[in-house]
Amino acid sequence: MKVVEQKGMYQKFPRSGKDTRVTHYCPGCGHGIVNKLVAECCAEMGLQDQTIFVDPVGCGVFTYYYWDAAHISAAHGRASAVATGSCRARPDAVTIAYQGDGDLGAIGFNNAFQAASRGENFACIFINNSLYGMTGGQMAPTTLEGEKTTTTPFGRDPDVTGHPLHVCEVFGQLQAPVYIARTSVADTKRIMQTKQAIRRVFELQKEHKGYCVLEILAPCPTNLRMDALKAAQFCMNEMEREFPLGTFRDVEKNIGVVESAPATEPSPLLQVKAVPQVKSCAELFAEKTVVPPAENDPSFSEIRFKFAGFGGQGILSLGLTVAEAARLEKRHTLWFPSYGPEQRGGSASCSVVVSGTPIGSPTVEHPDVLVCMNQPSYERFVGDVRKGGTVIVDATVPVTRQPPEGVKLVVWPAIKMAEDFGVPKAANTMMLAALIKLACTGLKDENLEQALVASFAKKPELGVKNLEILRKAEATLV
Amino acid sequence: MVNDETVVTHPAIEEDSCKGCGRCVAACPRGCLEMKTTLNKMGIKPVGYKGEGCIGCAICFYNCPEPYAIKVVKA
Repeated sequence: MKVVEQKGMYQKFPRSGKDTRVTHYCPGCGHGIVNKLVAECCAEMGLQDQTIFVDPVGCGVFTYYYWDAAHISAAHGRASAVATGSCRARPDAVTIAYQGDGDLGAIGFNNAFQAASRGENFACIFINNSLYGMTGGQMAPTTLEGEKTTTTPFGRDPDVTGHPLHVCEVFGQLQAPVYIARTSVADTKRIMQTKQAIRRVFELQKEHKGYCVLEILAPCPTNLRMDALKAAQFCMNEMEREFPLGTFRDVEKNIGVVESAPATEPSPLLQVKAVPQVKSCAELFAEKTVVPPAENDPSFSEIRFKFAGFGGQGILSLGLTVAEAARLEKRHTLWFPSYGPEQRGGSASCSVVVSGTPIGSPTVEHPDVLVCMNQPSYERFVGDVRKGGTVIVDATVPVTRQPPEGVKLVVWPAIKMAEDFGVPKAANTMMLAALIKLACTGLKDENLEQALVASFAKKPELGVKNLEILRKAEATLV
Repeated sequence: MVNDETVVTHPAIEEDSCKGCGRCVAACPRGCLEMKTTLNKMGIKPVGYKGEGCIGCAICFYNCPEPYAIKVVKA
């Protein structure tokens, strides 16, 4: 009997405070497949005890929970710089930097490029999914022309935001790298090619041949707004057209070796091409309404809010609504979100500060008003509430500990009320009803209502519905 | 313990680790995987084995982004 199973990973991953056997990646994520292949190759070649992985910032950040080998965590974009130090300090070890396109292609490009130019003795595995995954699908340097992301909602316009960055081709201009390749994990054939390429990287690193870079095209179903299979199709049809697969260089096999002369002759200086027309900032923002400046009013003392709950409960939107209402009243206001790397599930919170005078810090350590919609948030924040403050907690949360003395505790069935009104997603609106009824925001009711409607500007019918149930909820609270 | 001669080639699925992306179902060359209608611990409909047809190619294992959701036992 033979079993094909995962090698080179821990049996349990102690993340989020408990042991689990699942990764934090979204369903259908390319990272998961690459993680499995890297761990498998590392284990199959018997290199686990001499490999140092340098972990990135981005979706790949948690690899230290998964791969059974040595790890160093680097600051954002600095994996190649840290790997340089690591491979120089331990020339006997195999050093692998694992980076994404935000980490390597944007903030850390110079780190990676200079390390490649110096021919440092480590390998870089570069995951290209054509956007920023962890932060919510913004445009990355590798985003395709015309591809829609949250920061290029009409598609990437090369005149304004540039062309996709071809990391392998750029690195191919350097003399030092010994191995440059691009593969994909979109289907079985490509996955097996990727495994061969990763094996090749480990072989070259085991013999300390020099700098290797392996770019892997990976689907990101969540941020491409597709299911796993359509995202894989996008990888094969759209991304491969821009980023052709193949081995760009393998010095030992005499593929793509660059001689000392530059690949192309420079053209004479006088034939400068016309500069593309760039839109001015005034044109870009012409359609946007101008935000009126806040007015100073020292009689309005600062109020600090903390909103916390599971991602998806509308916690961040609730904070935005309060901040928007403050803006409508021309108060100074700041909204400051905080969330983990998970795109689905996990706890999220936001801080809102409303003040009559300019605000010093957006962070809120001791809130005047705390709104909690799940148990972990309640337990984490309830002890911080300032004396004389208010804690509003959903009725589904068990009150395991009492708030500090002098703090008012209100248990409010927001989730149940939203379900009773037939709009289960509007639990945050029900929390807003409690805020209005308890009059703890210092803001006018009509401005909070207007801000609520404004938060549904793209779906006006939902705004009307939410306003209706907000008023119903206010009427039920005694 | 299972006797070697009596083991049949099959995929062994850890349902609570499956995120239901469906990559393995689409990739299986024999079409012997399907999405189940029951929910796992995470509230997701996981993949299931139809009960026959597995040739032990492990394509499902390599297409799966999760390390422990699926493994393949060969006779």
